[in-house]
Amino acid sequence: MTVARRAWLKRLLNGLGAGFIVNYRLSPTQAGEEAPASRETGPLTVRVMRPYDAETPVREFTSYLTPNHRFFVRSHFGPPPPEAVSEVHWKLHVSGLVERSQEFTLKDLRQMKAVTVTAVVQCSGNGRAFHRPKVPGVQWERGAVGNAQWTGVRLRDVLAKAGVQTEARHVQFQGADRPVVASVPLFVRSIPLEKAMHPDTILAYEMNGRPLPLLHGAPLRVMTPGWMADSCIKWLTEIAVQAEEAKGYYMQTAYRIPTKPLEPGISASGSSTPVEAMVVKSLVAAPQEGRTLQPGPVTIQGVAWGGEAKVVKVEVSIDEGKNWEPARLVEEDRPYAWRQWQYVWNAETTGMFTILCRATDAQGETQPATSPWNPSGFLWNGWDRVTVTVAA
Amino acid sequence: MVRRGQTMRFQAFALCMILGLVGLAVVTAAQEKDMETVSPALGLRAEGLIIARCSVCHSADLIAQQRLPRARWEATVEKMEHWGAEISNDEADLLVRYLSARYHPGAPDQLLPLDSELRKAEPLTQEPVAEGPLTGVAARGAGIFEHNCQACHGAMAIGGMGPKLVKTPILKQEDLFWETVLHGRGAMPAWGSVLSPQDIADIFAWLSTK
Repeated sequence: MTVARRAWLKRLLNGLGAGFIVNYRLSPTQAGEEAPASRETGPLTVRVMRPYDAETPVREFTSYLTPNHRFFVRSHFGPPPPEAVSEVHWKLHVSGLVERSQEFTLKDLRQMKAVTVTAVVQCSGNGRAFHRPKVPGVQWERGAVGNAQWTGVRLRDVLAKAGVQTEARHVQFQGADRPVVASVPLFVRSIPLEKAMHPDTILAYEMNGRPLPLLHGAPLRVMTPGWMADSCIKWLTEIAVQAEEAKGYYMQTAYRIPTKPLEPGISASGSSTPVEAMVVKSLVAAPQEGRTLQPGPVTIQGVAWGGEAKVVKVEVSIDEGKNWEPARLVEEDRPYAWRQWQYVWNAETTGMFTILCRATDAQGETQPATSPWNPSGFLWNGWDRVTVTVAA
Repeated sequence: MVRRGQTMRFQAFALCMILGLVGLAVVTAAQEKDMETVSPALGLRAEGLIIARCSVCHSADLIAQQRLPRARWEATVEKMEHWGAEISNDEADLLVRYLSARYHPGAPDQLLPLDSELRKAEPLTQEPVAEGPLTGVAARGAGIFEHNCQACHGAMAIGGMGPKLVKTPILKQEDLFWETVLHGRGAMPAWGSVLSPQDIADIFAWLSTK
């Protein structure tokens, strides 16, 4: 049907007094229309408007620390109302298998010994969009990750004030965020006691030297360095020390990966284990996808991280992985943080090229070309790919 | 004179409906190609459901970015029902049919938008257009509010994720209220495809008593 005929039909309907019908139709932008998945509004690439999920454009990762306002955002229910987490009302409760239940105000926590950890935080589903066959969930591409300085108190110092009983094995967290509909399960997760008592596991109230922003969990979030962000509970209000893992959807069903490789495309079955440590991974931050470059030396730069293990090597390939050249690891080298790297590519011939990078960690794990398929699309760490054109 | 005026209005209304239906048939035929196995009527109904039932908890962009086989769409809709999405079995079937036809694994990343002209032209609510202002029935409005609005605006409209509606200034501007419900505003989706004019009048009447 041509536009002219459509317009004619519309005029006809309007002219015949059907304006009422015409006017209360849906507006096209409000019906779940296919805005391009990677559209950008402001500095972040929005994946879901509500609850707000947005990733950082990878070009931001040329800087070592990811600024707070450029840091990716993910939650299941969106932030709680600001008054629920305001310093006046907010309290942290510690209960369960402890000698004495405790209650902390933010002031109480600020008076305890402060610790700063520089750590990568990454959504378990970062790179989900690259799994084939495709899997359900937010279709994150490359930027649901960031590197920041987190300041707070050691979780073990908080637990010590309550006194952990001998039968305790897990520490459960719950935040102040709530689903719109009460029948949706709460976001409750736990980590093993060993990780909870690790001196680098903290409850953070500052991010990059500023009070934790609301979207990032104000006033307090868990920080489990080296582990995926589903353990880094935001808007933390409840800690329960337990003998068992947390019950409920987000621990027993979601955020799990199969213990044995699955045939791609089959539905979830068999034994699985919670997503915990990150896997070794790297990104090309510059040049950007789709750029046209002058022939000559091109500085390729990016970041690489390895969860609990250090990155020891980053390699670059310009020929679809036939030959790999080592990149230079540069700048700061801290556990849990990412490592910046550089490689100078002498782009002599014109044409289209795909820059690949892969990292290797201290345990000898190297990024695969594509990650093992799993039904929820977690832990993607396939080689990063950026295609550029060299033209005189 | 009164009788004659009513007759003329009826004739105009009938003519409008007939021409509207003819026009619809034309648009429908054109749309069939784009939607493959999904009829436009099904598509519009399903999109209305997505706005009314799914976007209570999440915006519809989350749905549009998925590319899943039917079995996974079934599992997803079932999960959402289990979590409290207010959908009947028939509505769930319809959603699965629509979602697995439009957002299947082979569908391109960027889908063509559904024809917005069609959307404007086709009446979604089957009730006849009322003559003159509708009279809302507050008692009915309470129930309609509970099923459609309460998730965001809270029990008794005292507010929740969405604003409080009790004694809100918008109740003094009925046009603005209708505009907001029909077309949405900010985070609030449009409800024109789900609520009939009578439903909206009933909700307005009920809110006005609070």
